[in-house]
Amino acid sequence: MNAIFFSILAIFSLFVFMNLGKIKASKKQMDRDDRIKWGNRRRKSFFKNRSTIIEGKAEEVKDDTEK
Amino acid sequence: MSKHSALNTFGRSGNPAFTRNFDNTSAIPQSERMTLDGAVNKTAILLSICFGGAFIGWNMPALAMPGLIIGTILAFVTIFRNPAKAGTTAPFYAGFEGIALGGITVFAEAQYPGIGIQAIGLTFGILASLLFCYKSGIIKPTENFRLMIFSATMGIAILYLVSFIMSFFGSGIGFIHSNGMFGIGFSLFVVGIAALNLVLDFDFIEEGAEQGLPKYMEWYGAFSLMVTLVWLYIEILRLLMKLRSR
Repeated sequence: MNAIFFSILAIFSLFVFMNLGKIKASKKQMDRDDRIKWGNRRRKSFFKNRSTIIEGKAEEVKDDTEK
Repeated sequence: MSKHSALNTFGRSGNPAFTRNFDNTSAIPQSERMTLDGAVNKTAILLSICFGGAFIGWNMPALAMPGLIIGTILAFVTIFRNPAKAGTTAPFYAGFEGIALGGITVFAEAQYPGIGIQAIGLTFGILASLLFCYKSGIIKPTENFRLMIFSATMGIAILYLVSFIMSFFGSGIGFIHSNGMFGIGFSLFVVGIAALNLVLDFDFIEEGAEQGLPKYMEWYGAFSLMVTLVWLYIEILRLLMKLRSR
């Protein structure tokens, strides 16, 4: 009886792992300020967010334009 | 901007072992990136290999010690030499550890019949329940959580190492092997720490998949889970043996 119970527990748990493991974690888990810092992306993020494109209307620059 | 994307924007620092992988993710094609599905499937492959090894170890218990030694060496090679080779080393690790666990279980079963299936059931039961707690956000791993688990794990490792060295001189740290209240309490503590290491593994895999780490990190994540599961199984077996011997 004991063996049957623990066998069912093991099989059910593996089934849960195989299905639940493939689902993304909840927002409550992912959207937190205090998540573990597994990697250093400061450099990449810094450059990624320093766009070289200047927003606004494009104007043609003419040579005879007064400076 | 969500809290998480704010973190992405303003950056993170941390484990230097993973810095290289987390830094270069933008250059990796979508098909070459780590996914949750891939990590779970690879864990299933490693578990199958481990069960295959356990079958060999069960029938040839004399191979338990060589299996344990080779498995431990492979684990150190994977962790410290080259995580990128985890796809090659992790299946061998799972196989050799399986042989070791099969042999250890035969030894335990000879003394306490039925203990093996109890330990397997409890190990996978803890795996599934902690995965649910992690995915639903009931357990939220933080930097302090990681520091606490890492410190406790290192403390236990040092204690075991000292006990192992002392055993060569006919001595030892008695209470960690005793079946008294202190020994059982210690085993419960170790099982707890081993179980909470699973949460760190889940978080690493989740974060790796979200950041699109290279594909080989699926093997590394699966390998990390296997290492923790093997440790958890051994500790549960020890705890059950202590309880049954009373």
